[in-house]
Amino acid sequence: MRSSHPYSAAVPPRPTEVSEMSMSTPEFSVESLKMLLVVAFLTLTANLLATGTGFLAALPGMALIVLIGLVALLMGRLIPLDLPAFAYAMILAFALALPFSPVQAPFLAAVGKVDFLATTTPILAYAGLSIGLQTGKMKEVSWKLVLVAVFVFFGTFFGSALISQAVLSAQGII
Amino acid sequence: MTNDTTADRWAPIRTGGRLSAHLRTHLTVLLIVVVAELIGTITFPLGPGQVVLLPLLYAVVLGLVLSYSVLGSLFEPLRRVVDEDVSRIASPLLVIALMPLGVKYGTLVAPSFYDLVAAGPAFVLQEFGNLGTILIALPLALLLGLKRESIGAAVSIAREPTLGVITDKYGIESPEGRGVLGTYMTGTVLGTVFFGLLGGFAPATGLHPLALSMACGMGSASMMTACSTSLAAAVGGAGVAEDQILSFAATSNLLTGITGLYMVILVGLPVITRLYAVLAPVLGRGAAATDGGE
Repeated sequence: MRSSHPYSAAVPPRPTEVSEMSMSTPEFSVESLKMLLVVAFLTLTANLLATGTGFLAALPGMALIVLIGLVALLMGRLIPLDLPAFAYAMILAFALALPFSPVQAPFLAAVGKVDFLATTTPILAYAGLSIGLQTGKMKEVSWKLVLVAVFVFFGTFFGSALISQAVLSAQGII
Repeated sequence: MTNDTTADRWAPIRTGGRLSAHLRTHLTVLLIVVVAELIGTITFPLGPGQVVLLPLLYAVVLGLVLSYSVLGSLFEPLRRVVDEDVSRIASPLLVIALMPLGVKYGTLVAPSFYDLVAAGPAFVLQEFGNLGTILIALPLALLLGLKRESIGAAVSIAREPTLGVITDKYGIESPEGRGVLGTYMTGTVLGTVFFGLLGGFAPATGLHPLALSMACGMGSASMMTACSTSLAAAVGGAGVAEDQILSFAATSNLLTGITGLYMVILVGLPVITRLYAVLAPVLGRGAAATDGGE
């Protein structure tokens, strides 16, 4: 019943080599940490170009982000709840940043040195490259289905927006 | 089964034995990031709304264009550097690169905690807004002459949970399976750019930025991010703080991530199959719109 991996339908399996074998949790932690450090460097670069904040100034915040990221990735892997690691990263940071959290002020000050938009650029660069795996499959999708999908996008967006608008006005929030 | 698929999916992050491919991947991303940040955010008015072009939009387009199956398929030298392995490594890296954003979203959500609780009913009810896909897209699909494909295509925005449910129930080779794959693929390839542009333009509808920000959360972190950051940039802090827009979108996205699967199984599928039975004879081409026609 669980959704299979999104790319499993689109990508033919490759012959199994050692480097394709499944990972143990300690190995996963080490490899994830390496990749988190790569991502940290990319994000710090984007941060520098976007806001002029130097690497050193943003380093403590980024170190915390790497630490939380590693814990979140492990939670995503070990907790049998079908929640993505992204959700755990958000929940962990949320808990640390709550008004009654003892570390709220230093935590927010450190992470605040990393610009929000700067964290998005590396993600979408990786996303763009990985979409390359799917363009072949995309050619099999007829223009009719693409058109239907665009209406699906509009439908879900404005369906949700209209309900939110109605409920928020009824509550007097907006 | 879940352990195996998880492990296979993560295998490319292993650096041992593919250091060259890793170097090429991350240096390509570094180049994309530098170019995208140097261009910076561009905003211009268009008709009643605004077009907001953020670095993340350039990044997704540059990444796709540089990949082996797009420009690489035309230029052999490019394909030697940015090959298929680069795309394979980029796929799990996307999940890891989401960690800093997840932390940033968490820090934005916490200070608006009480606002979010107050807006609780709206958050829950707007999940039903996803059914808007059925009301709008199903009639269109039938008018285009699609048959049972339209069930898979129009049932929801079709992120991973929907893809799983439909292919599990009908099979990936079935008409419903082709339909859901069509919407899934279109979302994967075009979704970020589509919602990035829609987020910037949406305030022109007159709907409140908070309502629009909730609508940005539809179960895909990249689409939600493109949508809510463009929306925040277009609103520019007028009336609603940018951080509040981002935190409402992130919360809605988290909620959709949790409820999305049940929404499709318990509400979406029963509604669309009944509506299909009613509408197909009326709107479908080829009168009877018999099953398994195609």
